Amino acid sequence: MAIEVDRLVKVYRRRANEEVRAVDDLSFAVRRGSIFGMLGPNGAGKTTTLRILTTLARPTSGHASVLGHDVVANSLDVRKHIGVVIQEQAAELLLTVRDNLLTFARFHGQAGSAVHRRADEVMERFGIAGLSETKVQDLSGGGRRRVQVAKMFMVDVPVIFLDEFSSGMDPILKRAVIEMLRDQAAGGRTIVLTTQILTEAEELCDDILIINKGRAIARGDLHHLKTLVDRLYEVTLSFDHAPENIETDLAGFHPEEVTVSHNTVRLKLRDEETRVLELVSLLARRGRLLRIEINGASLEDIFVELTQKSGGQL
Amino acid sequence: MSARALEAVLFREAKIRATNLTFIFWDVLYPLGYLLVFGLGMDASLGFTSELTGLDYNAFFLAGVLGMASFGIASNTSWSFFLDRDNGIFYEMLTYPLSRSQYLVGKVLFNVGIALVQALLTTVLSGVLLGVHVLPHRVPLLIGATIVGTSGWFFFYAIFALRIRRNDTFNAVTSVFYFLFLFASSMFYPLEPLPRLFRVVASINPITWHVDVLRYATIGVGTPTTIAIEGAAFVVFTLVAFWLAVQALERE
Repeated sequence: MAIEVDRLVKVYRRRANEEVRAVDDLSFAVRRGSIFGMLGPNGAGKTTTLRILTTLARPTSGHASVLGHDVVANSLDVRKHIGVVIQEQAAELLLTVRDNLLTFARFHGQAGSAVHRRADEVMERFGIAGLSETKVQDLSGGGRRRVQVAKMFMVDVPVIFLDEFSSGMDPILKRAVIEMLRDQAAGGRTIVLTTQILTEAEELCDDILIINKGRAIARGDLHHLKTLVDRLYEVTLSFDHAPENIETDLAGFHPEEVTVSHNTVRLKLRDEETRVLELVSLLARRGRLLRIEINGASLEDIFVELTQKSGGQL
Repeated sequence: MSARALEAVLFREAKIRATNLTFIFWDVLYPLGYLLVFGLGMDASLGFTSELTGLDYNAFFLAGVLGMASFGIASNTSWSFFLDRDNGIFYEMLTYPLSRSQYLVGKVLFNVGIALVQALLTTVLSGVLLGVHVLPHRVPLLIGATIVGTSGWFFFYAIFALRIRRNDTFNAVTSVFYFLFLFASSMFYPLEPLPRLFRVVASINPITWHVDVLRYATIGVGTPTTIAIEGAAFVVFTLVAFWLAVQALERE
């Protein structure tokens, strides 16, 4: 296993001795070479867990290890094997883009002409080659984020932690980084990420942990998680003209959500498959149908449902 | 302590400082400027009378200005924790493969280098320009006192820079430190003619220990026993400050 977390607890003390259990008896393990996503609403404990795993914070109790190295007892050994993109923007503002990459590599014991060549390749892939001699303080927020994430590709550490890595990235770069992360995982690196962008997790992660109030509320791949939210279907029907009085047809099916936008009707219902088909067949008779789409629960549905069940607020 | 980790921190500090050569130029030359302007002015306008017969103010103040320079470099270096926090890089660096103590030692190394250049340049030019008679055989002690002095004050300031979150609060703390440490010491004037209470306070002030060693190393003032005790006390002060700074960093 790349990461093992056993009954981890982190308690912060606020004023007047008020205790906040940011992480509450959390246990999980992450396979080597997997892309593991930690999902949860704000304040769920994702970042605190990541801070413990990256040796930035100490647990109140419980154990956590990275590649067999305990995060408290052998924190330096843990740091020798990890790369971290923290949630906040982090870059050497006074240094150039190139020097940011080279300095980071040097901390990981890499210097010399091979590192310079690698910096050129990484800058090319991140679209910052033309800015190599520009000081980071002169870049936009998105540019600085590129530099921050690009650094992870300068070294070959076996485990990478990414806390909300895509914030501030444009969609094209985000897609490119997702592809790069997939390549890295295929090459054996373990990627651990936190995100609130569920499509991102859906697209990237092959193992997902949903946490709320510091506790695990669901765990598995997307297929497994979908089975946890039973019989939830999303149906989208596009007509050449939107049918009138559609509410009458829908009344007997008790959909959880209905939206009608121009000629498209979207609804979400929890029922047997045959009943869903019955509804679609009924609506299909109400107008000329251009397109039908029936999907099972999305990660967003799973996330919302499980989080609300566990008493969380979104 | 891994040389690679220290070298990486040193490389980073040097890269950052090299982006502002004016600042390095000022760091290296300002003690000399202080000596030439303040020292010369004091000596010429007020004269210098004390039990240290035969010394002019420039000779006396040379050690004071070297101590002040180490103190100033340490204070400026500790400010970089706030800059690193603002840039977000501080927390990222704490995930790099180096220990907290390597991080602190590496951070002070470059500035110890600057302090050494500064001290040697100031000492040599004080002889050439102001006629201060410096003892060449005590240069190794001067080098040692500069290294330990700059490190000690940096670790001391680091404790506060790491514990205090607001830079305006830290600014207030450094202002108080400047006032208390510099003026309640043997930096600007000999302690002998001063009131007893003042002398007691100055005698437990680490900057007095630091400056007294520097004075012994440059112009030979002081008795070997007293200087040995003060030097040992300052080394203890440095080690305690280092330990406390590492603890503060562990709590980040």
